[in-house]
Amino acid sequence: MDPAPELLSDVLRGDRTRRPRRDTHVAAGLRALLEDQVFATFGAERRELPLVISSATVRTAGNFSELRDATPSRARGVLVSTAFRLLITQVHVGDPYDDALDAWRGERPHDDLLDAVGHLDAEQRARLRADVASHFHTLARSLGPIPSSWRPRTSQRARLLLGGASVCLNDVVDLVVGSTNHEFANVALVDVTTSPLSAGAERVMRFHALVQTLRTSVAPLRTSVFSSATGELWTLDVDRELLLRAVDDVGEVLVRLKADS
Amino acid sequence: MSALMQRRLTPHDLNELVAGAPRDVVQISDAHRASLASRFRAVPVRDHRRLDAWMVEQAGRPPGPFAWSPATARRILGNRALHRALATSDTLLSAVRDEVAEQLLRAVKGYARPGSLGHWLAGVPHPVLGLITAEAVNWATQGLDIAEGLEATCHVASSDLYYDVAGARTTLRGRRDLVADTGDGPVLLRIRSGQPGKSAGPGLRSDLVVATLAHREGLAPRRYLGLWPDAGIVLGVDATMENVRAGARDFVRAAVAQRRHVLARAA
Repeated sequence: MDPAPELLSDVLRGDRTRRPRRDTHVAAGLRALLEDQVFATFGAERRELPLVISSATVRTAGNFSELRDATPSRARGVLVSTAFRLLITQVHVGDPYDDALDAWRGERPHDDLLDAVGHLDAEQRARLRADVASHFHTLARSLGPIPSSWRPRTSQRARLLLGGASVCLNDVVDLVVGSTNHEFANVALVDVTTSPLSAGAERVMRFHALVQTLRTSVAPLRTSVFSSATGELWTLDVDRELLLRAVDDVGEVLVRLKADS
Repeated sequence: MSALMQRRLTPHDLNELVAGAPRDVVQISDAHRASLASRFRAVPVRDHRRLDAWMVEQAGRPPGPFAWSPATARRILGNRALHRALATSDTLLSAVRDEVAEQLLRAVKGYARPGSLGHWLAGVPHPVLGLITAEAVNWATQGLDIAEGLEATCHVASSDLYYDVAGARTTLRGRRDLVADTGDGPVLLRIRSGQPGKSAGPGLRSDLVVATLAHREGLAPRRYLGLWPDAGIVLGVDATMENVRAGARDFVRAAVAQRRHVLARAA
């Protein structure tokens, strides 16, 4: 018999006895390294508008041609992410598509992508509905109980400026649990993607960990990515090496974006 | 020159900012209040005007029409839930749900006037209520993280601060989310989303001047701190007479700019 699939909540909890002490020192060094990378790329040049680096740019390593998703794919991402927020908030989700669409409409009624969904033909809409339902059920099956005492928060935003506001690290993490006030590291980050996992997903995990470290000045415990397309879950414990690799990832994106511009 | 302090938003830096706030705080007199009122009266207004730090930061540009959304509702619900959770040791999710339920009950009983939060909540579908809950939980959680990191006794502010300028049809509004009680006077903390802009300093000074004016004896808080958790940054202004004066001047400038906008629109 196959072993039961791993629940996301179990992975996030992990072995409590093996959690390291929280690292409050690494953030300053990372910040300095990033500032050096920005200076090495752009010199003393001050950009009028900041160059925005998000998890999407890091996933494709700055290759914008990979970012041109079709409307249904982008809409699916937003709908699954919204339905996931409802799930974490322990709201009864009857029809994932209808409920997520209602919530989206309530949040951003004038969204262009939402308008585009309204203009899909019946066949495209039926396909999107089935797609969202399938992704949602995969998520719901794999999530496991996330107690309120873990302080779950969804779609946590971060916006950090580097190089005198020449570069902006912009990030949204789908789920964050834990607190930075504990003696031991206990913050876990989860990214939910509707795509199958690839090398880019690992870069996204590192990027989330880096931005969270810079934002709170405390390194998180672990960073995960879950694919609602395949049910795959990747998890990495956060250490200095991982964060330094994340700095290198951002450096590579900077060089690529500089070359493109 | 009024200095603006900037630190990382860490418990260590925040505690230093709270503990290191100046003990000698400024006190404004009736003459100061009268002087401010005369300046506002010199900027006539047809209807009642309400000014706040946001308008100062926007250089007096009138804001667009207000609409409730999960983002605009999260602060009220989140702060009330945090207050409830700290008092009852409820989880934040339960506390937010209780707050939403209380608002809905007010609406059902007919106590919620049109346009109020309760009235709006009563009309939204349940998935939107779920999203509102999620946003409020996010807000309350970041507030709790900040409060837990503070060594000084801290409580959630029961409301924002308001000051009616005598005879000038003007109300000034100052935002505050947490109050750190230091024994020698409060340090006020305001939580904001996103990242601080170039006008964040004037915004903080505006809140400082409202807190000072709203105090019965005209005593300023020891320090006003603006927290931007998304950016991991704290900005702070001390309660010096320079800062209070600068804050008052910014409000008058915003009123003048607002009048210009109104006149330009009418023309």
